[in-house]
Amino acid sequence: MRSQRFLGYAYLAPYLIGLVIFTAIPFLSSLYLSFTSYDLMSSPRWTGLSNYQKLFTRDRTFEKSLSVTLIYVFSTVPLKLAFALFIAAILNYKLKFINFFRTAFYVPSILGGSIAIAVLWRYLFSTEGLVNMAIATLGFGPVDWFGDPTNALFTITLLRCWQFGSAMVIFLAALQSIDKSLYEAASIDGAGKVTTFFFVTLPLLTPVIFFNLVMQMVQAFQEFNGPYIITQGGPLKSTYLLPLYIYEEAFKKFNMGYASAIAWVLFAIIMVLTLVAFWSSKKWVYYAGDKRS
Amino acid sequence: MKGILKTSVIMAGTALGLIAMTPSAGAAELRMSWWGGESRHVATQKAIAACGAKYGHTIKGEFTGFDGYLEKLTTQMAGKTEADIVQVNWPWLPLFSKDGTGFADLRTLKGIDLSNWTEADLNSGSTNGVLQGLSVSTSGRVFFFNTTTLEKAGVAVPKTWDEFFQMTKTVKEKLGPDYYTLNAVKETAHLLMVLVITQATGKDMVDPKTNRVAWTPEELATGIGFLGKLVETGAIRSQKQEAADGNVNLFEKPAWAEGKIAGSYEWDSTYSKYADPLKEGQVLKPVPMLTMANGVTEGVFRKPSMVFSISKNSKNPEAAAQITNCLLNEPEGIDILGTSRGIPASKAAMARLANTGEPEVRAANDIVMKASGPTISPFNENPVIRGIIIDTLEEYAYEQIDEMEAAEQIIEGVNDALKKFD
Repeated sequence: MRSQRFLGYAYLAPYLIGLVIFTAIPFLSSLYLSFTSYDLMSSPRWTGLSNYQKLFTRDRTFEKSLSVTLIYVFSTVPLKLAFALFIAAILNYKLKFINFFRTAFYVPSILGGSIAIAVLWRYLFSTEGLVNMAIATLGFGPVDWFGDPTNALFTITLLRCWQFGSAMVIFLAALQSIDKSLYEAASIDGAGKVTTFFFVTLPLLTPVIFFNLVMQMVQAFQEFNGPYIITQGGPLKSTYLLPLYIYEEAFKKFNMGYASAIAWVLFAIIMVLTLVAFWSSKKWVYYAGDKRS
Repeated sequence: MKGILKTSVIMAGTALGLIAMTPSAGAAELRMSWWGGESRHVATQKAIAACGAKYGHTIKGEFTGFDGYLEKLTTQMAGKTEADIVQVNWPWLPLFSKDGTGFADLRTLKGIDLSNWTEADLNSGSTNGVLQGLSVSTSGRVFFFNTTTLEKAGVAVPKTWDEFFQMTKTVKEKLGPDYYTLNAVKETAHLLMVLVITQATGKDMVDPKTNRVAWTPEELATGIGFLGKLVETGAIRSQKQEAADGNVNLFEKPAWAEGKIAGSYEWDSTYSKYADPLKEGQVLKPVPMLTMANGVTEGVFRKPSMVFSISKNSKNPEAAAQITNCLLNEPEGIDILGTSRGIPASKAAMARLANTGEPEVRAANDIVMKASGPTISPFNENPVIRGIIIDTLEEYAYEQIDEMEAAEQIIEGVNDALKKFD
């Protein structure tokens, strides 16, 4: 019995060691560093709350970056989820070559986070890129995707939305697990396809929508590759997301203490929004066996 | 007894075999990191292989483009995992080694023949009196023009800014509005602005006596306005146009390869990086500094280009010193590296290369060395200061602020950043 208990700990050990070394220690270190002035080359110097004080009272770049990040997250997540659900609903039909289409639509999410795709995106949306060439065939003039501050964030948003595969697969699995008898009952009651979708499918998908919402929101707050490669945060900081700001403060300006403070504010925002999502889920997420009417 | 004897013989044989396979004493495994373009990467890889073979060391090269190199090195320095031999941009020395303890003290290592550098070179590589980096070359910004494009338009290489603007007009009339005569994005725009202000005033941006911005807001505003004039006259593409194309590096632009961008203002040592992508038949030439009517100096931006440092965390600093010396002072390194990092600062390398190496790099370096200008402060390329200037120039380019507001914003921001180094 005792040896079995040790065996259990032995199985757990690799994960726990990894968790402590690669997550817990950096996590707690960054909390400590956020209260210091640390230039990476010399020892950290304790400065109390001054980093946070500067962040909330004197840092206009932080204000701008935070507002850009919030706009990005609140536009990307709903768009991406809606698109993923739309494609999943189509791929739920029994079409010819359906397995090929399911794979094809999932591929972007495997490639999406890579640098190569960000570079490709830059060429697709450049002034003389493929997207503007397609627009020109419709008789319209070229769109300034990256040079215009009002369009640049939208273009970065599209890159994230394009990586809808993982959310789509989860939606597809959920759609396939819905009991067909519910659709038959709705049909007998005279419900059309749209009514069935909104009153049968959607409520039964809410647990999965909730899961995807939280996961996608957390990922969107951490977006880095797209703006770093394509726009470098510009023009006029219109795509200067918080992770980019953290990176530049830490590794370009040698302000690791200040960067840690920004990272902790970002963490707090993600935590609060996740808690809000969990709190609100009681009102709109329906689980199997739920007694609510 | 027989068995014991047999076992002993086998063990002794194995031990002897292992001894024979072990590298000779002092053989070390080293890493070297650098940034650069394709030609520098190829030359350096060959040179470290040759020097490694000479001394029996193995050297692994870690190389990238310039973009991202500072961040990579910063992370490595913070984690004490930097390569044994590190190529460091000269303005970064105070960042990594404020008090002379960031890298190994090169005067304490036996393998380097320091008599190959002038005292001025050694001083420029020292912080707090400790030798932290060996100057590889002296570099400066110089104008490169695509003479094929200029000939096609029937214009001569300009000597003054007035001639340059006249040339731009002719090129656009004869070749079309999609032709540009210069490139100025981000750092290059910043240094072009520095150039014209220095030409007009004779002053570098930072006054070494006060450690504050030496230019008045009016002087700076004139320089910023000059960038505006370059856009208005069609000499350069606007920042908005550059952003619309994803801020692509000049050497990666199809318009550059085709000769539709006819010139740029780049480091002399980077000639190959810009000449190599040009389509066949296009000729790129370094030309003397464009001068300003009533200018007080040619305003050359000249400084030690880069240094080689040795990590203070290296397990084999003497071996690293041997390789560094080989690369910079010995025939095996000198012959292969040639002018891939500009004209060498080492006397041994300079003497051995004589007039060999890429003639255009040599010509570009001649221009830089002969041109007049004030001593350049390393703060011109401090990442924080550069960030302030580039962000402000972007606001100006997008017409959020005018020249004067931009000038005041830069002076205030740069002075704040300089205060930290008082």
